[in-house]
Amino acid sequence: MAEDLVLDTAIRDWVLIPLSVVMVLIGILRYFVSKLMRSFQVPDPKIVKEGQVIVRARNLRAAANFIPPKPFRSRRVYFSNEENGLLFVPKGQAQNAQAQMFSDPNMAMDMMKKNLSMIIPQTLTFAWVNFFFSGFVAAKIPFPLTQRFRSMLQNGIDLSTVDVSYVSSRSWYFLNLFGLRGLFSLILGEENATDDTQRMMQMSGFGFDPSKSLSAEKDGLDIVQHEWALPKFEHRAEAVLKKLVS
Amino acid sequence: MVSKTEETQLNSLENQVDNGGGGAWEYLCLVRKLKVRRSDKVFKYGLSILNDPKKRSALGPEEWTLYEQVAIAALDCQCLDVTKDCIKVLQKKFPESKRVGRLNGMLLEAKGSWAEAEKAYSSLLEDNSLDQVIHKRRVAMAKAQGNISEAIELLNKYLEIFMADHDAWRELADIYVSLQMYKQAAFCYEELILSQPTVPLYHLAYADVLYTLGGLENLQTAKKYYASTIDLTGGKNTRAPFGICLCTSAIAQVSKGRNREDKESPELQSLAATALEKDYKQRAADKLGLLTSALRSMKF
Repeated sequence: MAEDLVLDTAIRDWVLIPLSVVMVLIGILRYFVSKLMRSFQVPDPKIVKEGQVIVRARNLRAAANFIPPKPFRSRRVYFSNEENGLLFVPKGQAQNAQAQMFSDPNMAMDMMKKNLSMIIPQTLTFAWVNFFFSGFVAAKIPFPLTQRFRSMLQNGIDLSTVDVSYVSSRSWYFLNLFGLRGLFSLILGEENATDDTQRMMQMSGFGFDPSKSLSAEKDGLDIVQHEWALPKFEHRAEAVLKKLVS
Repeated sequence: MVSKTEETQLNSLENQVDNGGGGAWEYLCLVRKLKVRRSDKVFKYGLSILNDPKKRSALGPEEWTLYEQVAIAALDCQCLDVTKDCIKVLQKKFPESKRVGRLNGMLLEAKGSWAEAEKAYSSLLEDNSLDQVIHKRRVAMAKAQGNISEAIELLNKYLEIFMADHDAWRELADIYVSLQMYKQAAFCYEELILSQPTVPLYHLAYADVLYTLGGLENLQTAKKYYASTIDLTGGKNTRAPFGICLCTSAIAQVSKGRNREDKESPELQSLAATALEKDYKQRAADKLGLLTSALRSMKF
């Protein structure tokens, strides 16, 4: 179907722009509300220490070739020693982290607050869009799409012959949802609570973080082959000096 | 570490402000960002901004950061009254603030009332036992009182938790070197090299410590690290070629009679000596005679 539908400019004035404006305003409102509701969370010493251990182990792995072999070996033993190595986590503890996170009342409250502040405005806005702005073609996507996208992008349009590039306002809503993140970091500065996509990604990789990354670091450290880079430097220094002197 | 471009920017701004051109606020912001210690200038220009009500209101919410910066600079310049006034203003605005509590502790430190400062810091630590800055202030206090062993103990405990803090490792290395505990200092410098392998300063310091420890293996390792310093600084460092000459002659002395392992870099010492002579000829020609006689005595 290659006919071009001519869309009324009134659609642009009364649908696309107000929808974007409303989403921006709701985002700003959420930012201020989250700032008001933010409670100061005392950092857990164990988690801080684990984070630092991971950084140090990572440094060791990255720059291992810059220190002599003996210090490297002693540090590696210090980290991955079976009894009291820093990175060694006995199997039983791995499961505890997640259970602990759910039973800790403070953390559960925090999680709930963050989730609520994300879910409620999204749901409300989505319902509003569906109620007011459904049943007509809102925009045309500049590139062609396959038929699979029809159910996703053309929810209110009950004609099956319309080209899939013509989408309803629901897709404009989703586009704004993911696209306004950049705009928000411009207006509100870096740390804003409207980073939904990032939060959604974080929620999936939750709970296991400390012990898994520790064992990952330990495996990485065990694999490292120490190749002392310093002898090479002597030759390079010779070359540098030769150039200087000549 | 301040980079070269930032350093030139800072110096040019400083010149500008010193000679009466504007830009005091940018200078103060840059000093704050780079964490450089220019307390007398910060004090002078910060105070002039704060005393001028028009300029003060132009700052908006940044005014309070400026109060904090001037308070700390005043402590450094020993103008404790100014600090007291700044703290009073800050306390009125932020009554329950931990940052203001910390400033109070620093004021007590500067006055010399160590016990009260210690009490203030411990109470702040009770609320938040993971406040890095307060831990470091306690170490500084122990060091200022001359209690080096306690400073070492506190710093070690701090590093047990915050082991990725390379400034703390650097401070610990300095303390160990001052106490001649070279093995521990070598450990700290290794940590520093691990976290920032391309900073030539740490290679040089590590080589110095290894050379001081002595022993054939350490001397050879020290020579390699002096070489890496030369490489990382493009030959501009003057201590490193000296280090190489000293190491080579020391190795020769220690391994007298055993087969010398010069297969790695036979010319390094002569090259280093020549580079030094050239450098001295350019920059300090009157000392060239001393240099040549010293080098000659080192050649085996």
